[in-house]
Amino acid sequence: MEQVLANGIYLGAQYAMIALGLTLIFALMNVLNFAHGQMYVIGGFVTYTIYGQLGLPYIVALLASCVTLAVLGALIERFLFAPVIKGSAREESTMLLAAGIAFLLDALILLIFGEKQRGVPKIVNGVLNWDFRIIMPYDRILICGLAIFSIVAFIAFMQFSRTGRALRALAQDRTAAQLMGVNVDRYSTIGFALGAMLAGLVGGLLVTITGINLGMGGPTSIKAFMMVMIGGAGVISGAIAGGFILGFMEAIGLAVLSQYGDITYLVIFISLMIFLAIRPQGLMGKPWG
Amino acid sequence: MNGVTSKQLIGFGIFLLAIFVGVPIVIAATGRWDFYFTLTSVALLSIASAGVWLTFYIGRINIGQGAFALIGAYVSAILVAKAGVSFWISLLVAGLFAAVVSVLIGLPILRLRGVYFAMITLVLTQVVTLVALALPITNGAKGITSIPLPGGISLLGLQILPPFDSMADTKLAFYIMASILMVLTYLALWRLVNSRLGHICRSMQQNEELASSIGVNIAYIRIIIFAISSFFGGIGGALFGSISQSVYPSSFQVTDSVNFMLNCFLGGLGYVFGPMLGTLTLYFGWDLLFTLGKYQLLVYSVLLILVIRFLPNGLLSLRLGKLGKGGGK
Amino acid sequence: MSALLEVCGVTKKFGGLTAVNDVSFDVGQNEILSVIGPNGAGKSTLFKLISSFLRTTSGEVLYEGKRISDLKPHVVARLGVVRTFQETTIFKSMTVRESVIVAQHLRAKASLAGYFWGTRTARADIAAFGRYADELLEFMGMSAMAEELASNLPQGHLRALGIAIGLATDPKVLLLDEPFAGMNPEETMRTVNLVRSVCDARGVTILLVEHDMPAVMNISDRIVVLNFGEKIAEGTPSEIQNNEKVIEAYLGSADDEVGI
Repeated sequence: MEQVLANGIYLGAQYAMIALGLTLIFALMNVLNFAHGQMYVIGGFVTYTIYGQLGLPYIVALLASCVTLAVLGALIERFLFAPVIKGSAREESTMLLAAGIAFLLDALILLIFGEKQRGVPKIVNGVLNWDFRIIMPYDRILICGLAIFSIVAFIAFMQFSRTGRALRALAQDRTAAQLMGVNVDRYSTIGFALGAMLAGLVGGLLVTITGINLGMGGPTSIKAFMMVMIGGAGVISGAIAGGFILGFMEAIGLAVLSQYGDITYLVIFISLMIFLAIRPQGLMGKPWG
Repeated sequence: MNGVTSKQLIGFGIFLLAIFVGVPIVIAATGRWDFYFTLTSVALLSIASAGVWLTFYIGRINIGQGAFALIGAYVSAILVAKAGVSFWISLLVAGLFAAVVSVLIGLPILRLRGVYFAMITLVLTQVVTLVALALPITNGAKGITSIPLPGGISLLGLQILPPFDSMADTKLAFYIMASILMVLTYLALWRLVNSRLGHICRSMQQNEELASSIGVNIAYIRIIIFAISSFFGGIGGALFGSISQSVYPSSFQVTDSVNFMLNCFLGGLGYVFGPMLGTLTLYFGWDLLFTLGKYQLLVYSVLLILVIRFLPNGLLSLRLGKLGKGGGK
Repeated sequence: MSALLEVCGVTKKFGGLTAVNDVSFDVGQNEILSVIGPNGAGKSTLFKLISSFLRTTSGEVLYEGKRISDLKPHVVARLGVVRTFQETTIFKSMTVRESVIVAQHLRAKASLAGYFWGTRTARADIAAFGRYADELLEFMGMSAMAEELASNLPQGHLRALGIAIGLATDPKVLLLDEPFAGMNPEETMRTVNLVRSVCDARGVTILLVEHDMPAVMNISDRIVVLNFGEKIAEGTPSEIQNNEKVIEAYLGSADDEVGI
């Protein structure tokens, strides 16, 4: 029981961060970022290269992942999303563009990092064994702690910093924010960069546990979509709730359903669809339509 | 709602000539027999894309067609390989089965709009893949292989169509079969869009509340359209299974669902024949870029992004302008 | 005058907030009845309750003695109670004529499959739709813009298009949502005359929700006044004009809310 709980918290913290980035981008620009999983993968590969290959300190690698993705996100927003959003009234166009970018990032990952599964040396050794009730390697605990710390830092940033407040205003009502003097273009770029950075940060954290490979992008995006749907699209608290709920469902599912084969995700998917039939806006989303 | 113009008839005639006479001549002349397989794939993927286009027509972004294609492929494969049913019957059953499943799933999810609907349909593809892995009847990851080729059709003792395995050139046979089905699909789609149902869809696409205020049962129409869409998906999938003679849980994946959506966008959502052109362009483009080796995906995605960036209304918007709006009259 | 539409003790609560509280009134056959009130009085909520675009918390709306509240909007429309929207809600990329043709959905005799196969009934329907659309646009004075894309129409005509779409369904009762909002006096006069003739010449009973006092005084047979979700007065325009409570409600609210 305690083990399942611990696994749930560990998974949930990672997932919540991925969902946070996706929901931030969605809230700001109404863009469903299909490339979110690929951004996560790039983050993992950057950390792998700097920490695993070059042997620099892990924290440097983690920062490099964040910076790379923030820059990449800003570029994508400035040169691709912004002009397409301006040029087309239909929200479908941005979805198409996002799919194109997902392919492009996949191509770049393939060319730069190859298609092999990559792992890095453990950042800390040893395993916590609490009376055989919770068995968890120290590196997982550390990563989990870092993830929770990042989530708290992100929330604090959104609540208290000037930029965070501007972003929230923008997410709530674009036109009103513009009237209030928020530089919409600039903050859209910052918000997108921030969302991409979160994806990269999780990639950098998780590469130390699970390693990274090209194929992880798509499934990660799908998981992120599910979390956002559970919590309600475009709502920060919803993303965190969705992340932890999915994390716990996965942890419980793996513990309870494993003897029936690989049906955990099937059960999760089906319960998600039933849940959405009853509550289409998710847990914390605003009702619409 | 008005009749067919002579210009449209001539265009359609040229199109038929091109696919049933032109293509075989060109292939015979160039010796590129492999193009038959490519074009057959284009035809069957176009059928599935037509369904996705139709859901766009009621204002829903459908990224779940892979799910229904996979359902269709499995239904047909199981019927043909395990129950010995004629392929032609299984084709129809596959489409109908996919349609029934879509009604059950559509009842709850069609209430969702915009990105919410898009996200849930994306998840749907994954669900069907997992179901295929879990169920005993689908053989799990091993899939269903060595599916027999389609048999013949005879009516009142008269043989209309010989069995495929007795034919000299099954590639050509599959190409002709898929092309005929594609033409029928698009004729039906064109007719539907220009009939009253199409007009009602268009009214729903533009404003569901207003549509319901004039007495349209929007929930019912949504279900009907989603069922027709999935019927096309099931047919496309069943064809795919028959042509490749095998079905695996990975035969249609999330990427395929995304590609169906891309086909529609690329061809242009305002044009009935858009998804056909989009499928041809994307699939052929992908195939032609094969020579680029590891740069294939890079070039492909860059081209894709450029098209979206500079032609946000699809390829057909280039030449036809406002004249050829399929949704118009 | 027998009541065609009866609003009986209708209440709507959103969470803890009561938007419409126990409102009752009748609309007689071939009458124009207006519901007015200051901003936030619950007019739009009441409007949506009557057209079944919202569910009531309690109370009911009867049409010809049958309950229509909490039915689906399209069912209510089918019974003959049709609402219009404010000007932004139109079929943007259809022409005026196409909009009016598609809106004749309820007049169709053929099935949807019949249209697909082009049966004789369907062809007769299509011809009839076209004829009726032309007749209706003529009546509305919109023939000249029949082939115009709806999104290209000026605001005043958008409102007329909305009414035309509503009329194309052959309603017994037409519910108009702020038909005069944002119009100048001249446009208002024209629309007032139009609504009057819809009622007189086509025998359609009209219930409208409106802000614009002078127009309402001009057009209505009777007026119902809402304030804070409750009915505070009901009567002929002259009775309403001299009603203490109404004057108080309107003066009590900010000047700009009285309507120009």
